Amino acid sequence: MVKLQINGKTVEAREGEMLLAVMQRMGIEVPTQCHHEAIEPTGNCRLCMVEITKKNWDGWKKCVTSCLYPVEEGLIVETHNDKLFEIRKTILDLQLARSPHSDYVAKMASEYGLEKSSYPVEPQGDDCIMCYACTRICDVLGKSAIAPTMRGHEKIVAGPFGEAPPDCIGCLSCAFICPTDHIKWNDKGNTRTIWDKKFKLIKCKKCGKKTITREFADYLIEKRELPSEYFDTCDICKRQETADTMGALVVKAREATI
Amino acid sequence: MKIDSIAKLDKWRKEIQTKQKAIKTKILICLGPGCLAGGSDKILKEFQTILKKKKIKDVLVESVKKTGCHGFCARGPMVIIEPLGIFYSKVKKVHVKDIIEKTLQKGEIIEKLLYKDPDTDKIYKEWRKIPFYARQQKIALRNVGQIDPDEITDYIVNGGYSALAKILKGMKPDEVIDQVSKSGLRGRGGAGFSTGRKWVTCAKAEENPHYVLCNGDEGDPGAFMDRCIMEGDPHTVLEGMIICAYAVGSQEGYIYVREEYPLAVVNLQKAIDDARKFGLLGDNILGTDLCFDLKISKGGGAFVCGESSALMRSVAGEIGEPRAKYVRSVLKGLHDKPTVLNNVETFANIPVIIEKGADWFAAIGTKKSTGTKAFSLAGKIKNTGLIEVPMGIKLKEIIYDIGGGINDNRKFKAVQTGGPSGGCLPADKLDLEVDFDTLADNGSMMGSGGMVVMDDRTCMVDVSRYFLNFLVEESCGKCVPCREGLFQLHKLNEKICEGKGTEDELKLMENLSKTIISGSLCGLGQSGPNPFLSTIMYFRDEYEAHVKKQECPGGVCKKLITYKINDDCNGCMACLSVCAASAITGKKKEQHTIDEVKCDRCGACYAVCNINAIDII
Amino acid sequence: MKYCFQVIPELCTGCRTCELACAFKYAKDGKPGRSRIYPLAHAKDQYVPVVCFQCDDAACVRACMFDALRRNDETGAVELDKERCVKCEACVAACPFGCALTDTDQNEIVKCDLCQGDPVCARFCPEAALKYVEIED
Ligand SMILES: Cc1cc2nc3c(=O)[nH]c(=O)nc-3n(C[C@H](O)[C@H](O)[C@H](O)COP(=O)(O)O)c2cc1C
Ligand code: SF4
Repeated sequence: MVKLQINGKTVEAREGEMLLAVMQRMGIEVPTQCHHEAIEPTGNCRLCMVEITKKNWDGWKKCVTSCLYPVEEGLIVETHNDKLFEIRKTILDLQLARSPHSDYVAKMASEYGLEKSSYPVEPQGDDCIMCYACTRICDVLGKSAIAPTMRGHEKIVAGPFGEAPPDCIGCLSCAFICPTDHIKWNDKGNTRTIWDKKFKLIKCKKCGKKTITREFADYLIEKRELPSEYFDTCDICKRQETADTMGALVVKAREATI
Repeated sequence: MKIDSIAKLDKWRKEIQTKQKAIKTKILICLGPGCLAGGSDKILKEFQTILKKKKIKDVLVESVKKTGCHGFCARGPMVIIEPLGIFYSKVKKVHVKDIIEKTLQKGEIIEKLLYKDPDTDKIYKEWRKIPFYARQQKIALRNVGQIDPDEITDYIVNGGYSALAKILKGMKPDEVIDQVSKSGLRGRGGAGFSTGRKWVTCAKAEENPHYVLCNGDEGDPGAFMDRCIMEGDPHTVLEGMIICAYAVGSQEGYIYVREEYPLAVVNLQKAIDDARKFGLLGDNILGTDLCFDLKISKGGGAFVCGESSALMRSVAGEIGEPRAKYVRSVLKGLHDKPTVLNNVETFANIPVIIEKGADWFAAIGTKKSTGTKAFSLAGKIKNTGLIEVPMGIKLKEIIYDIGGGINDNRKFKAVQTGGPSGGCLPADKLDLEVDFDTLADNGSMMGSGGMVVMDDRTCMVDVSRYFLNFLVEESCGKCVPCREGLFQLHKLNEKICEGKGTEDELKLMENLSKTIISGSLCGLGQSGPNPFLSTIMYFRDEYEAHVKKQECPGGVCKKLITYKINDDCNGCMACLSVCAASAITGKKKEQHTIDEVKCDRCGACYAVCNINAIDII
Repeated sequence: MKYCFQVIPELCTGCRTCELACAFKYAKDGKPGRSRIYPLAHAKDQYVPVVCFQCDDAACVRACMFDALRRNDETGAVELDKERCVKCEACVAACPFGCALTDTDQNEIVKCDLCQGDPVCARFCPEAALKYVEIED
């Protein structure tokens, strides 16, 4: 265990734990965009920055992203002060100019008193805030079908060579994890479309309800050694099957006792 | 032939010495980037062809040597005849015959090819005496321009690999590190971190394996120090890295070179192959227990790939994007293993430090910045080129004594040091001593050693815009403050150049800069606002002229200037013929006029008029 | 001490109290059908309360690529970590018993976690067809 001080309070934390986790446990709120429990932290959004120092640093302070900074013995952490407020506000201000149509950004910015950006707004700016949540979740999935490409202000997330990603299995994890709902997809009939790629949806063999894509199911079957018949029926029909099977057992048992 | 003992290396060196003694006269032909552009490869061929047919006393075909950059790029292509050190500059292919027939055969000097100091009209016969060279002290560049980079024998005969032999003969790894620490050597890649401290940390790290990496990315536009070392003296980089590997206990290393440096890749690969062939790389180096091998890793040439974490990811085959890390890469670097990453020039200093000792090195330069530093001189300066000077030298000595002063003897305005994210220093800082800390204290930085000199016709607002534009394009785009912040900073800067900026926006820019500095993930963003901050620090009046009066005092910002032809015009028609926009009218021998509307302010007329009949208003 | 959740279908009358109790505890507006337990008829007037078996080698746990489903060793339940879940529905598709589902109203994956060791359904079942009992290790 490691002892450190956050906003004047002494806390204990596990070795290797990140500051953000400890802060969240203490109920301290800092804004985050790129943070998600299921993925590795990368420190893209910079909003969770805190200021750290140590007794022997002679008053020298340093801004670090708390999602990535492992706890250290004797660390003194400040999570809210004027400087940090200014950093967070400026970041949101910049995003407001870049993604003027995003409700998500607008809501976060309004918490810092920002109704409109101080910078020239880009009317065509899309909602992608480059948090990499989508690419990171795809990495965790083991597919890495999409990745950030190009650089600087032109950077986008896309499949290789900007084309439909060959490795995508249409699981929608990227779209679901996207904080700004920038990643668009749709299900029409038996077909799902995402990243300009089309997928067949599995139809429940009993009721016809659509479940996940064939590619996603096959991936799970292979990767996680699951029996393929689990994926043939939808959850509702599987529940009924369960009732029927158990019911039959009860009936059988009852008949046996008579 | 494997050189499998130190004794054999010494013997080999003696053999080469005897052999090379036979070649009395040497004709060094610089194939550095500057001279090559001037056609020095053709000059080399011409020498070889003619000498093959001619018999001259003391001159053989082997006398002709191609070398790396000799430094004085402004005077290239150059041919140097040793041992006399005769310096022929601006040589063309047609001169070769003359040089052979007059100088080599008869010992005559061809005066028109010699260097003439434009200020004093003094003619110099020997290159070492030329002010450009006289003030320099070469350590990292000691062999560059002197030896044929393809020949391992050239390196060895000049004392190459003797530092390696020295440590293998009788120095323990910690003694090697001790020497490096004591020498005070600081990283030449920009940050100036103590090389010794880096090595100690890696050596002590318990995890294995340890890696040694060399940073040859050199992304700064206009900088070519590292390129010249890799191209002109590749073995010194290898030797430095092998010594490092011995000191920190590594068996595997990589040299990261950008793809835009194909010759550096070729020369380094040749050096690696040769070193392997002779047993200087690979298993049991020089017959000892030391095993170390090297590979070249080619980078796609993004500026940000020079950043340590991005470089390591790129070497590992991942996207070359910086990684936020609060664990130092010396402990968790390449493949998350302890890694020493040093710059090319840093490694090039190592063999000399080992050979001559830490005290010798520490005595050069200043107390906190020891040794020398290579710079590439560029911009509006007479003697552009590659130089190496002791730390602590004054800026004005570099610019006026070595650099020869400003082109056309115009007024000096500023010098930009430290590459794109460095800063600009004005005339009253010319007395500054160039070292890591002084430059940083004055709002600039050492960086990797680019130096761009600007004259009075430069607009500092435009300079800031130019460098910000570079950084916006090179930002990897991963984190918000750098991607969006530098983008907006550049846009606001552009607005000022167009005369549309406001005072509020200037304030906004200053505040934004603060967030970019403390909020960005890697060094690129953290130093990104420097071009703006250092120019507004020293040239606020220029910003204010743009904002308050819509004027560009430097006469550069197109939207704020007009070209006008004055009464001095003699109707020579020179301007009329260069104007691509056909904006100039006028009859021969009569005063011309410029149509303000048609004029696109390219400045071609201004440049071509040699009676100063065009004003910028 | 270990507990075990028991379902005794013979005692179930299909009164749906369990479903309501669960829905009130978890779903929006107490909407049944979004509960985690489903008393289903398998024949006329004969019911089985279908609920997660907390399988030892659970298909849902295997299917989750993001490690959002983990066993709570104290209660024995497989629990969903909402912070890790991205709602990809792999678990829903994989559970052979249909006991993981999506609450579209609340946009989340729903799965029985034995109410952290105090299952409301068992508490409210008037027929004692659902029991949370202590077992020996
Ligand atoms: C954006 C950026 C670009 C860099 N580019 C280079 C480079 O081109 N060459 C280099 O040697 N160091 C470069 N560096 C510095 C390296 O990160 C690192 O500090 C250096 O290679 C360490 O070697 P040294 O201690 O020998 O200087 C760069 C740093 C940043 C932040
Ligand atoms: S500071 Fe710039 S270059 Fe560095 S990680 Fe952030 S966006 Fe990329």
